[in-house]
Amino acid sequence: MSPLKGLLAAIFTTLLWAAVSTAAQSPVAVDLRPDGRNPVAPVMGDHLQFWSTITNTGKVPIEGMVAWISLVEIDPGNEQPVDLEDWSAHKAVTGVSLLPGQRLQTNWPMRLIKGGDYRVVISITDRRGRQVYTSPTIQFHVCQKPVLNAGRVLPVAVAVPFLILGLMAFNRAKSHRRNEKTYIGI
Amino acid sequence: MKAHWTIAGKECVQMLRSQRGLWWLLALTSVLSAFSFLLVSNTELSLLDNAQVVYMMAGTVLAAGALLAAIMGSDAYAGENERGTLIPLLCAPVASSDLLIGKTMGLLAAWGLLLTVATPYLWAIGASGQNLWEAWFYLTLFGTPVVLGVGCLAMALSARTGSVLASLLSTTILLMLAASPLLIGPGLRGTAIGRALDAINPLAAALNTFDSVIIDSEPFSAQVTRLLLVAAWLGLCFMLSRQSAANIHFNTGKIS
Repeated sequence: MSPLKGLLAAIFTTLLWAAVSTAAQSPVAVDLRPDGRNPVAPVMGDHLQFWSTITNTGKVPIEGMVAWISLVEIDPGNEQPVDLEDWSAHKAVTGVSLLPGQRLQTNWPMRLIKGGDYRVVISITDRRGRQVYTSPTIQFHVCQKPVLNAGRVLPVAVAVPFLILGLMAFNRAKSHRRNEKTYIGI
Repeated sequence: MKAHWTIAGKECVQMLRSQRGLWWLLALTSVLSAFSFLLVSNTELSLLDNAQVVYMMAGTVLAAGALLAAIMGSDAYAGENERGTLIPLLCAPVASSDLLIGKTMGLLAAWGLLLTVATPYLWAIGASGQNLWEAWFYLTLFGTPVVLGVGCLAMALSARTGSVLASLLSTTILLMLAASPLLIGPGLRGTAIGRALDAINPLAAALNTFDSVIIDSEPFSAQVTRLLLVAAWLGLCFMLSRQSAANIHFNTGKIS
């Protein structure tokens, strides 16, 4: 191969690689971080916050962007998506437009309802594109808090009906004594 | 001592001393205890499951209170009539309004007793969960007008018909009608007719408030409309009972 042909082949390869890598580059960058004030070992009932940063890294504006939070339980044998209905009142950001280079920071608060291992992720799509872009996931463990204490429930469940039974027996005995007194004429 | 206090005291003592009143309390505590035993078998509930249970317990106490009020209200005039004690009572120097207020205060005392008995259960189930104090507070705030309203309505029917059976049957049917939107599920309740029924149904208003406060942790401001509805329900039923009690018609004739 002549040096000229070699040079042309190198230029062509470089251009092809640049074109492919530009096409493959995502027009959106999504970052997700936990809030610095989140508890280290969260327990049921605690609140967590996550911060996402969405950046338009493309050359065209993103119109009608939708970003939403998803939570997945990953406990062995219990892997499932979690319905966020009771976990978070802020589940999505909708209808946002981002100019090239512009970024959007969003706070995602969450209340921990159930113990277990979870993974949280932010997903993004827009009106025109057909792709969904996702953030890195964050995994966390929620410690189970006993919400029902058998040592507290059982005594109440047993004692209260017995208390009423006792009152009934007392009333009956009292009425029986009164009747006896009336009968013997005291 | 005012006559209505004397009547209220007698009604209250009857609840605690009569076997019938205590059987009623025993039945309620047995239901609540059965609930509690069922729950103890699963201690790893989520916060939401726990709130759901507290909500169900609050609903059960309210339903039991309404039923108790229906029974006591039906017995208030017609029961006295059937036992032959109404005529002496009406001949005594007691104003009809005093009699009505006394009977209503007796209802209030019975509801108070029911709440007192239910409180340890609510505490035992919900102490480690969420919104326990709110559950108790709203059960008292909404339960009192709903229960008294049912009782006053039953008293109005009792004074009008003179029959415990007729009054009790009518009030129970009305209670079942009020509870029916709760049985048809949230999907059907979302329709225009379902929403319209919810808007005028005091029982649904109270239960929706429990749901909103205990499960969804919503503030007082979201409950004001429902509170007005249950207050209007109590006002309406009290007026009805006052009108009926002032003008009692039984088979034996008219006593006014």
